[in-house]
Amino acid sequence: MSLKDKYAIVGIGYTDQGRVPGRSALSFYVEACANAIEDAGLRREDIDGLISYRYFQPAQGEREVTPYVIAQHLGLAPKYLSQEANCARSHLAHALGVLEAGLCHYVVVAYADNALSNNRFFDEISVDRAVFGQFGAVADYAMAARRAMHTFRTSPDSWKQIAVGQRKWANLNPRAMFYDRPLTAEDYYNSRWLVEPFRVADCCLVSDGGRAYVVTSVERARDLRHQPVAIMGIGQHNPSCYVDQALYLAGPTGAKLAGETALKMAGIGLGDIDACEIYDCFTYTVEITLQDYGFFGPGEGLDWFKNGTIEPGGRLPVNTSGGQLSEAYFMGLTPLTEAAMQLMGRCGDRQLGAKTNTKTPEIILCSDNGGILQTHCCTILRKI
Amino acid sequence: MTYQKPLPQPNADTRPFWDGCKQHQLRFQKCRNCQHVRWPPSILCPLCYSHDTEWIVASGKGKIYTFVVYHQAFHKAFESDLPYVTAIIELEEGPHLLSNIVGCDPGEIECDMPVQVAWEDINEDFALPKFRIVEISKGPDT
Repeated sequence: MSLKDKYAIVGIGYTDQGRVPGRSALSFYVEACANAIEDAGLRREDIDGLISYRYFQPAQGEREVTPYVIAQHLGLAPKYLSQEANCARSHLAHALGVLEAGLCHYVVVAYADNALSNNRFFDEISVDRAVFGQFGAVADYAMAARRAMHTFRTSPDSWKQIAVGQRKWANLNPRAMFYDRPLTAEDYYNSRWLVEPFRVADCCLVSDGGRAYVVTSVERARDLRHQPVAIMGIGQHNPSCYVDQALYLAGPTGAKLAGETALKMAGIGLGDIDACEIYDCFTYTVEITLQDYGFFGPGEGLDWFKNGTIEPGGRLPVNTSGGQLSEAYFMGLTPLTEAAMQLMGRCGDRQLGAKTNTKTPEIILCSDNGGILQTHCCTILRKI
Repeated sequence: MTYQKPLPQPNADTRPFWDGCKQHQLRFQKCRNCQHVRWPPSILCPLCYSHDTEWIVASGKGKIYTFVVYHQAFHKAFESDLPYVTAIIELEEGPHLLSNIVGCDPGEIECDMPVQVAWEDINEDFALPKFRIVEISKGPDT
């Protein structure tokens, strides 16, 4: 039996975010989870599943944030606890699996970090790259973007429209790290080169803070506080090659098959999508993801993004919180939680609908990818 | 002055590669069953799962699959190299290799340019395979 519309996101947990010094990663996890449980209108006794990220080395003097440490601090004794959950993009599929198996009824999924205050450097651990001066995800994604410039003639002129468009959404979102800082096309071109072809303005934020959500069955969701947001479709594809051997840097990435799988499960087409929340570690990631989903053909992004397509008032809003480029970085939870909040109608000045001169959303498509385009998850959410 | 940049850390899988580099040879594993040349090294062929493997010496010729230009150093020892270029080289035998493009202005580089290995002996134990752009012959003078 299909999982379509069987499970729903019912609560979202936020914390202070941005630069929030003097806080452990654990404190953000605990606060985000507690807020998500409260937001759903549940008690801690109801929570019988917990899945959290576990990969990064903790900051000096902090202990590793395992799921059981988080559970201890929340007074939880779940029936199901993830122990080796490395990938935020897999957590929802993981949660659906344990719910469907009947192992538990209410699962909390969380990601948090004190990445900004702790000066976290995002890199895969691989010493032989360092021999040649290759460090960090910026350079790896910049290599993908450069290949795409060669293959289908994209350029910073396309990426500028993504950075500028998303910033306009952030300027409507008081939680966003760049709420008070507009970005013009001129500002984009004046942004300094980091690893060319990427400027600083092409790169996502590094953030302190946390994000969590609660997922349960649609049946149980109907008794809770908020409009349930159903998982209508979900698909993953993980081509898995490290950047130096990958032949999909300019697409098709895992987004193509993951997107087709999610749309097929949902039984809809791209024309039914009212908005997108796309994992945006870098501007180019947004372009290649939307291209691989089929919103436009290879190289047509420049024209497609023109005239504010993704901005407030645009025909296909993208990354309505400001995204990871302009709101805050919480892995795949930045896009997924924003989609749920929009469908619940809880987004204030940035709310899709009459307030932002956009269509009131019924269906929102979310993406999440990991590594250097090695993994991809597409999730389609809707009001139910 | 001693070499300040990170050194290779050979492991059981990569030691034959780095031993080859020391002799200015680019060595890769080749599957004896399906002829696939692979990188990184592995216990078996990822295409046919055969364990029957030999090490071959590659020509050192290839082309630039993609490249980037660092304008910020993420490691102190690379500061004096800025702006420097890292690239993925598509070798004519098949494997891609992460390396540097040296000996040219970063602004001149384009994807698919032909390159040739240029060895850099960094200390007594290691040589690094870096790459230079090959000047394309304009053909014989007439």
